[in-house]
Amino acid sequence: MSNHNKTYNTLEQESLICARCGYCRGVCPVYRAIGWESASPRGKLSIARQVFSLKDQQKLDDEFVHRVTQCTLCGACAQACSTDIDLRRLYMDLRERIAGMGLAPKGYTALQANLAANRNITNFANQDRLDWAQDVDDPEQLEPRAGAEVCYFVGCVSSFFPQASEVALSVTEILTEAKVDFTTLGGDEWCCGFPLLASGRPDEAREFMQHNVERIKALDIHTFIASCPSCYHVWHQGAPEFLDGYKLEILHSTEYLIRLIKEGRLTLGEMEARITYHDPCDLGRNGGVFDAPRAIIQAIEGVELVELAHNRMQSLCCGGGGNLQSVDAELAGAITAMRVEEIKATGAQIVVSACQQCEQMLSAAIRKAGLKVKVMDISQLILEVLG
Amino acid sequence: MSTMTLQSIQEEYGDRATASPLERELYSRDLGPVPALMVDPLFRTRPDLIVRPGTTEEIANLVRRCGAEGIPVTPRAGASTVFFNAVPVKAGVVIDLNALTGVVALDEAGMTVTVKASTTWSDLEAYLNAGSLACKTVPSSAPAATIGGWLCMMGHGIGSLKYGSLLSQVRSIEAVLPDGTVKRISRTTEPSLDWFAASEGTLGIITEVELEVRPLRPMRHFLLHIPDNHAAVQVMNLLMAAQVMPYNLHFSDSCFVRAMQDLGLSQASPNPGGLLLVDYEGGTDELAEAGITIQKILKEYTSVTLLSESLAQTEWDERYKSIRIKRGGPAVLGGELLLPVNSLAGYLDDIRKMADVYSVNFLSYAHVVSPEQALVMSMFFADETKTLQYIINLSLVKKIQDAGYRHGGCPYGIGLWNTPYLRRIYSSSQLTVIRERKRKLDPLGIMNPGKVYRTPFMLNALNFSLGMEVLAGVRRIFGKGW
Repeated sequence: MSNHNKTYNTLEQESLICARCGYCRGVCPVYRAIGWESASPRGKLSIARQVFSLKDQQKLDDEFVHRVTQCTLCGACAQACSTDIDLRRLYMDLRERIAGMGLAPKGYTALQANLAANRNITNFANQDRLDWAQDVDDPEQLEPRAGAEVCYFVGCVSSFFPQASEVALSVTEILTEAKVDFTTLGGDEWCCGFPLLASGRPDEAREFMQHNVERIKALDIHTFIASCPSCYHVWHQGAPEFLDGYKLEILHSTEYLIRLIKEGRLTLGEMEARITYHDPCDLGRNGGVFDAPRAIIQAIEGVELVELAHNRMQSLCCGGGGNLQSVDAELAGAITAMRVEEIKATGAQIVVSACQQCEQMLSAAIRKAGLKVKVMDISQLILEVLG
Repeated sequence: MSTMTLQSIQEEYGDRATASPLERELYSRDLGPVPALMVDPLFRTRPDLIVRPGTTEEIANLVRRCGAEGIPVTPRAGASTVFFNAVPVKAGVVIDLNALTGVVALDEAGMTVTVKASTTWSDLEAYLNAGSLACKTVPSSAPAATIGGWLCMMGHGIGSLKYGSLLSQVRSIEAVLPDGTVKRISRTTEPSLDWFAASEGTLGIITEVELEVRPLRPMRHFLLHIPDNHAAVQVMNLLMAAQVMPYNLHFSDSCFVRAMQDLGLSQASPNPGGLLLVDYEGGTDELAEAGITIQKILKEYTSVTLLSESLAQTEWDERYKSIRIKRGGPAVLGGELLLPVNSLAGYLDDIRKMADVYSVNFLSYAHVVSPEQALVMSMFFADETKTLQYIINLSLVKKIQDAGYRHGGCPYGIGLWNTPYLRRIYSSSQLTVIRERKRKLDPLGIMNPGKVYRTPFMLNALNFSLGMEVLAGVRRIFGKGW
């Protein structure tokens, strides 16, 4: 069960329904890192109730706006909520209201400017989206191609950030090895829209989604895979509105790759290692995909999979979600450090995730902590044991 | 009050102390949605300063310094109560205790655990379960309620039926007393452990608790549909008189069940009636015997139906989420009281009649906490955006308490808002005893002042009764459909 079954009416109603029970506090990584009531989900809802439900606009000050941005949208609070409020959606609604009042934080400005100009989160031109693929055997094969079996949606981070592009390269190599007929949207791929949703601009996010869906339709492709959990989650939630009867299977790469393993199209070798798995929030708690990545890890002979103290629905965020890094990188780092403590406690030699952002956050924090733990994306792990 | 002292504390604690308006606002409330109109003219609920100490020594230091200047101190952890138990009424310093978490020591041979006081019950339970142990009893708000906080509120909850109140399971505590000294307190010390149960942070700040644990054993859950409240009480009594004592008994009356169904939150029987969740924990023989007891009851009470195991499991899994009913609100108002088990059906009959008089739907559930007593919550939907109606609706909370009192019950928890019922909760001699304890430990009255011992003038029993009766009269005439 994921957070999909949570309820949401309006910001005004949900803020009133909040019982202020505080079940959300202990699970909220931001509250755990900061410690003040205003950093807790119930604290934020309490002020939202004053401002929006009870119409006391005086309470809408800079301090509150900053607190609203201090959230990774990990959804742990929604899972804990005693009154079943979809708090993740509520925060995005809250950010939209704040943006609508012209009070959005400056940290979002550069991100939004890049998206408006380049259709991706960076200041690189979108035509360069496939630059990461220069090292693959046949880069041309990744150019958009109609009628392919599968479209691999690479995502902004894996397309433009060298460390994260390892994920895209690994996925490409695995799909090639399994002789999957696949393509990408190349320079026609736009950001999935998640950063816009997370900064309170859902209408713009819908435009991005519509564009991407139309590209898929134009290519007559009916299976979509994303290695980025946020892209996957946004597609899962947002694409149906624009599919309009068009049949499209939306999968995270782990769901597709375990299928290939089970069909015998991929053969995994052995690895003697103690591995722990970090659930990305948008894939696990918010997306409902827990078993596929674990099944892949367990399909490798010799691997011992040890669970982190908080796993699956109770997993702790890596700190990298919700645009938090663009407004408070220090807080994001403090949240990662808490997760690293749990990784350390497992005694694992390798921590595997299925998200380029988690991988980046965990790598930096593990390096900082001086731990001898290797951080890998699941696609990199597969590649290492590919028979 | 010494501004210099507050400034000096703020400087010393750096980013762990704040006087930010946003924070002061948030620390001036708990779960109780009481309109500002009723609070601000009477009480100074916004603290001057909030501090987050990390150790017992820091707490002692703070209490000593506040004591020297006569600055009121309000301890606060989960703040998961509704009576302003952890909300200041005379401003001063709020000590946010939430950094005080974690297990200090586990004695598996002696079956005790020593835990820092602000650890939540869910966290302690998770820690113990990992080692095949469990808490003997937990509050129904375990994900938020803290170990020390629940002891301060007396501690009747899930598991109390089989294992007794929390107080009976606590071996010792560490507390910072109002003069700033740190003391390990047990049943044989002066002050004694029982002084602190239900003291609501007025005698000092509990920093550590040593309590008994039990082995984690298999459970079996039964969900009975019972059309009649009187039959429900008879069934409860039979269950408690049987060879194996249930771990937990939780009864939801037909109005509560219906409201949950209307909200799509319960899939239980579509027939009118209440639901009794019966939970057992123990060895194979005990659980088998429990099954036999249930079968005997089903034979004797043909109107009682045993619902599916999956429904029973769901009820148990959602034991901390009764407040989900609030989705029908947006607000709920209500009263929580300790009531003799044998009076439960009469009480429910009584409030049902009252519901007709006031054109309101009272939803109730009861948690049996001992063979004699149940914790009963009766509530109704309200809307706090309609301030006047909402304030008038508060008069029905007193009507609930009055009905409970007629049936031998009294409010559970005091804080500020239940002080008008002080004489219902304590006899004169008991009041004398607890006031004497307060005088002895806190002669300056700095520790969580304005709570538990005396009723503030504006809330004194006469004013309160008169005011509430007038509002109830208005509610009766004009309140249909509110």
